[in-house]
Amino acid sequence: MSATAPATAPRTHLRLSGWVGAATSTDHKRIGLNLGLCSLAFFLLGGVFALLMRSQIAQPNERFVSDNTYNQLFTMHGSTMIYLFVTPMAIALAIYLVPLQLGATGMAAPRLTLTGFWVWLSGGLIMECSWLTADGAGRAGWFSYTPLSNGTNTPGVGQDLWVMGVLLAAIGMWVMGACVVATIARRRAPGMSLLRMPVFTWTELASMLMVVGAFPALIVVMALLFIDRHGGHVFTGFNGTIDYQDLFWFFGHPVVYVMFFPYLGAAAETIAVCSHKRWFGYTAFVASIMLFAALSMSVWAHHMFVTGGVTNQYFAFTSTALIVPAGIEYFDAIATMVRGSLVLRASMLFAITFFIQFLIGGLTGVFVASPVLDYHVNNSYFVIAHFHYTLFAGSVFGFFAGVYHWFPKVTGALLRERLGKLQLAILIVGTNMTFFPMFFLGEDGMPRRISRYPTHPSWGTLNLVESVGAGIIALGVLTFLINVFVSLRRRVPGGPDPWLGHTLEWATPSPPPPLNFETPLPPIRSYAPLLDLRRREPEGSRS
Amino acid sequence: MSATRAAAGLVDTRHEYEHLFSIYVPIAIGVFAVIVLAIAYCLLRYRRRPPELAARWHENNRLEGSYALVLAGVVAFLLYLTFTAEHRVDTVSARERPSVTVDVIGSKWEWTFRYRDYMITERSGTVGRQPLVVPTGEAVRFNLSTVDVIHAFWVPEVRFKRDLIPGATQSVTLVFPAAGSFQGQCAEFCGLRHADMVFNVRAVSPAAFAAWGHSGGRAPIG
Repeated sequence: MSATAPATAPRTHLRLSGWVGAATSTDHKRIGLNLGLCSLAFFLLGGVFALLMRSQIAQPNERFVSDNTYNQLFTMHGSTMIYLFVTPMAIALAIYLVPLQLGATGMAAPRLTLTGFWVWLSGGLIMECSWLTADGAGRAGWFSYTPLSNGTNTPGVGQDLWVMGVLLAAIGMWVMGACVVATIARRRAPGMSLLRMPVFTWTELASMLMVVGAFPALIVVMALLFIDRHGGHVFTGFNGTIDYQDLFWFFGHPVVYVMFFPYLGAAAETIAVCSHKRWFGYTAFVASIMLFAALSMSVWAHHMFVTGGVTNQYFAFTSTALIVPAGIEYFDAIATMVRGSLVLRASMLFAITFFIQFLIGGLTGVFVASPVLDYHVNNSYFVIAHFHYTLFAGSVFGFFAGVYHWFPKVTGALLRERLGKLQLAILIVGTNMTFFPMFFLGEDGMPRRISRYPTHPSWGTLNLVESVGAGIIALGVLTFLINVFVSLRRRVPGGPDPWLGHTLEWATPSPPPPLNFETPLPPIRSYAPLLDLRRREPEGSRS
Repeated sequence: MSATRAAAGLVDTRHEYEHLFSIYVPIAIGVFAVIVLAIAYCLLRYRRRPPELAARWHENNRLEGSYALVLAGVVAFLLYLTFTAEHRVDTVSARERPSVTVDVIGSKWEWTFRYRDYMITERSGTVGRQPLVVPTGEAVRFNLSTVDVIHAFWVPEVRFKRDLIPGATQSVTLVFPAAGSFQGQCAEFCGLRHADMVFNVRAVSPAAFAAWGHSGGRAPIG
C-alpha cells in the first residue's frame, strides 16, 4: 500500500505498534480518533451524572443524594459535557476529516496537535479526579461565578482541581483549534481554493477561528480564578463580579457555536449526499456561517441581562440578529432536498431530526434574546430546555448523523441501518420527554440547580416524565453502543465510497492509508469534486 | 380596583411579559410548522427517485438575498416590540414614585426584608416563614443587595428577576396588581442550600398594608 504513496512525501508517521504507537502517532486520523473516543467516554460519564441528577429530582422533596452531591453532579455534568465532550468532539471531527476533505496528507503541525490532545486529556482527567478529594468535586456550576467559586465560599482541593482541569482542557483545545486553522491555511491540495472547500470544512473553519479567538478568555479567567482562590483577590466588588462574567461568557457564548457549526456541517454533508444533490446556496451559506461566527462573538452578555451590569439593548440586538444567518441555513437545507433523490438511511434521518429538533432550541433562543422575556425565564428550567434542545437535541443528533455517515470511512465497516433507525426512534422519544416539559416548568417558576423542590401542582408529574425520558435517552445511547459493537464484530465492508459521496474523503480507501491518498486526486473544480467527476458535465448555477 | 390603578400608568411587568410572550409564541409555532411541513413535503415527494432525476441547480443568490431581507424585517419587528417593552420595564418604572421602599438583602441562605419607613426588619428564614409584604396596585421600590455571593431576587408571579451583585445596591420598581400569596426564590446558584432560599410574597390592599406597617409588623397581615 505505502509503496504507491508519493515517494517525496515526508515521513510523518512513526511506526510504533500497539498502545504506544496509537498514543503517540502524529497521524491526524489517529489523533482525531483518540480525541473522539476519549470525548465519547466523557459523554457516557456525563450521562451517568445526568441520570443521577434526574433520579434525585424525579419527585418532590426526594433524598436520593445530598444537596452537596447534587451540586457536584450538576457542576460536573455541565463541565464534562461542554469541556470534555461536545467541544472536543467538534475538534476531533475536524482533525480527522478536514485534512481528508482538503486533499492533504496530514495536519500542519501534527506534533503540536498531538500535544494539544494530551494537554486536553490531562485537563479532563484532573477535572474528574476532583471526585476523589475529601471535599468532593467542583461544585460551583460549570461557569463557576465569583464570589461563589472563590476560596472563601467554595474552599477545597476539589474546586482547585476543577479550575486547573478546565484551564488545561481549554489550552489543549485552543492549540488543536489553531492547528486546524493552520491546516486549512497551508495544506489545501492544488485547486482547492477557499471557495471550493466542502461545507463541513467551512463550518469547522468558522468554529476553529472562534476557538482561537475566544478560548484565550477562558484560559485567562481560569488562571485569574486560581489566583483569586489563593489569596490574590482579583474579582472584587461589583465590577470584579461583572468582569468575571464578561470574560467567561466572551468564551462561553462563542463555544456554543463551536458546539453547533461542525454538527451543522455534518448534517449538511449528509443531506447533500443522501439527496444526490450538491448543497444548495454554497456562497450564501459560507457568507452566513461567517456572519454567524462574527455575530456570535458579540452576543455574550445576553447571559447577563439580569445582572444590571451590561447594555441590554445592544446584546438583544446582536442576539436577535442571529435569526438572519440561521434562517439562511434552514433555507439551504430544505432547498438541497427539493427536487433531489432522497435516500432515507439512518444518517439522513438523524440529519433531518437534527434540523427539526434544533429548531425548537433556536426559536426559544429568540425568546431568551429578549431582555423582558429573559427577566422571567433566565436561570429557570426554560433555559435548561432551550440549551438542551440546541446541544443535545441539536448537536448530538448532528453528531450521530456524522457518525452514521463517516463510520464506514473511519472503520471500513457499515453500521447497521435498522439498529440505527431504532436508536433514532428511541432518542427522539427520550429527548422530547426529557426536555420539552422543562419549558413549562421554567415558565411556571422552577429555578435551575435546585436539589429539591416543594410539592407544587404538576411539578412532580412533569419531573417524573423528564426522569423517565432521561432513562430512555440512556437506552438510545446503549443501542448505539450495541450497533458499534455488532458492526465491528460482524463487519459489512462499505468500500471506499458507500454513499456516492461528494468530497475528497470518499476518493480514498476506508480507512484511509497513513498519507491519506494513494492515487492522484480527482480534479477539484467545486466544493463537490466527486459529484463533478460522476457527472462530467457542466452544471447550471441557477434554478 | 387595584388592577385599574396599575393599568392607569404604572408599569406592570407581568403584563409586559405576557404581551410580548403572546406575540413571540405564535410566530415561533408558525415558523416551526412551516419548516417541518416543508421538510415533510420533501421527504414524501422526493424519496426513492432515480438519482438521475435529481436536479442540477444549486444556487440562487438573488432569492437568498431577498429572503435575508425578509428575515432582517422580522428581526426589526421583534426588536421593536422588545425594546418598547424593555423601555417600560427598565426605564419608565424606575421613574415612578414608590409608595413603599423595601431593602432586600440576600445572604446564604435566607432573605432579609427591611422597611425603613416602618422600622420593620424581617428574615425569611430558610423555609420562607416570614413573608415579603407589599401593597397592591402601587409602585414598590426594592433595593437589592447581598452580603456574600450572587443571589437573584425572582418573583415568578410578576415575571421578573434581578441579580443581587456584591459591592453595589441595585434598585427595581415593581407593581403587584392583584392581592394574593406568591412564591419567590433565589434564581442564581448560591451554594449548598440554594434550594432552600425561598420566600413568600403577600400582596395586600394598601389599607391593610398600612395597618400592618404602622403596627411595626406585629399586626396580622391583610
